[in-house]
Amino acid sequence: MEIQGLTVAYGGLVALRDVSITVGEGQFVTVVGPNGAGKSTLFKTISGSVPARGGDIRFFGESLLTMPVARRAHLGIAHVPEGRQVFKSLTVRENLEMGAYTEAGRKNWEASLKRIHMLFPILEERALQLAGTLSGGEQQMVAIGRGLASAPRLLMLDEPSMGLAPAITDLIFERISQIHREDGVTILLVEQRVAEALELSDHGYVLETGSVVMDGSYRTLMQDDRVRRAYLGIGEE
Amino acid sequence: MIDTTVLIENVLNALAAGITIGCIYGLMCVGLGLIFGIMKVVNFAQGELLMLGMYVVVYLFSVWGLLAFLGPYYGPFVAALAAGPVLFVGGSLLHKFLISRVSGLRTSGSLDEGHFGQLIITLGVSLILQNGGLIVFGSTPVGVRTPLSSRAWEFIPSEAWDVSVFFNKARTISAGVAIVVAILLYVLLEYTRLGKSLRAAADNPTAASYMGIDVEKAHRTAFGIGAGITAIAGGLIATYLSFTPFVGVDFVIIMYSGVVLGGMGSIMGAFWGGLTVGFVQQFSALVLPPQLQNAAIFVVFLMILLLRPQGLFGRSAERA
Repeated sequence: MEIQGLTVAYGGLVALRDVSITVGEGQFVTVVGPNGAGKSTLFKTISGSVPARGGDIRFFGESLLTMPVARRAHLGIAHVPEGRQVFKSLTVRENLEMGAYTEAGRKNWEASLKRIHMLFPILEERALQLAGTLSGGEQQMVAIGRGLASAPRLLMLDEPSMGLAPAITDLIFERISQIHREDGVTILLVEQRVAEALELSDHGYVLETGSVVMDGSYRTLMQDDRVRRAYLGIGEE
Repeated sequence: MIDTTVLIENVLNALAAGITIGCIYGLMCVGLGLIFGIMKVVNFAQGELLMLGMYVVVYLFSVWGLLAFLGPYYGPFVAALAAGPVLFVGGSLLHKFLISRVSGLRTSGSLDEGHFGQLIITLGVSLILQNGGLIVFGSTPVGVRTPLSSRAWEFIPSEAWDVSVFFNKARTISAGVAIVVAILLYVLLEYTRLGKSLRAAADNPTAASYMGIDVEKAHRTAFGIGAGITAIAGGLIATYLSFTPFVGVDFVIIMYSGVVLGGMGSIMGAFWGGLTVGFVQQFSALVLPPQLQNAAIFVVFLMILLLRPQGLFGRSAERA
């Protein structure tokens, strides 16, 4: 996927300015940055719930910006939104079934379900429970499982660690890394837990007030003084 | 001694009428249950959708006589079922041009979830349909003449007593049709891909669009089904009741109390809620004058909600 010169505005307020990001097939790319930098807006623009003002997003050569929202999931883009957004009044199993709403998802349903249950065994135990009654961590697992159920070519995860206990966060990160390594799914991750997120990824982008201020590999970014000071709280003052 | 027999007979007959009318009310509430309980759209024009369903039967069967060839026995019931697809189309159009502007993705996340707009728009639609109905259909009460309306099956519980229970044929058949339609809708919503996608689109429109569900279309379909279901119930009521274009006003309140009583978000609950309302209405007729029947409904309504604020079948999907 290639994002070129993307500009997004809410009314007069520019949320993203001339953002260019490339995610190669099979890559793990992370976007980090402080609150309000436009990370979620970036995701919403890709999956289509926020319109772009300028620039282009190409997914396997096809331009997404002119495409209706519901079509984009069928291309193989799975968006695991911020705050989980599970279907609270549906059971866990029904949530996963809705993830497999796309044609690719239906074709691979048996295999995906098995894989999801392998990654998150608790979801098999809780299959018939309403998703709204689960804990935050379990809901995050449902949200990720729901994304996986669509047999995606690109899995976008928006702050999967939000509001979770550190131990659960570690588990979630471990599973995301597993999905990338073992299933070969391309991953685009937005995170505030900068160090952990960057460690997993092939390439990282730093987004600040709507613009990409820096990008590079884990090593390059971790050696940068500004990143160390601003996001990791280390480095000499 | 005679008094006891009469009392038993009255109670049993109220029970029979309560069950049959209750099932039809149940179906009526299921239609609103889908629109208000599941999709969270406040629709005050639901009574007028019911009214239109009734007139569809009158026109198909009596006025135009398109279905008259089916005879006075089957004709009215087939016409009542036909009111479903007609109002499905009508409801879908109403949603496409008006309701969709104040519901679904457009208002998801807004302060009132679009309820203010829905209230005003549907009240307006309701007034337009009532008065439009008056112009088109006239103010003379009409009904569908079927010989079944004035016939009943007699049921004698025991030879020992001198008691008979009467099941009005039109109402009893209507109740049967209502149960079948309600079960079909339940199966559609619970077990089919379409049904699940409708529930997902109602639960979280934004997330549903990420799944590749066409949310606009899903909401339109659900609204159309809800309109069609209530219209079928209206068509069934038309087989035993005469009515004017203002009939919806009486029923819309019954529908809302049924849906809330059964528990928001539950189709089965809406049916039981409607059944309860029908029951209370018929039983109150034993001791109260007819003018107070609706008051009795609300007394019971308030008592049940006092004890079970979430409704009979309501379940909270939120983690406590």
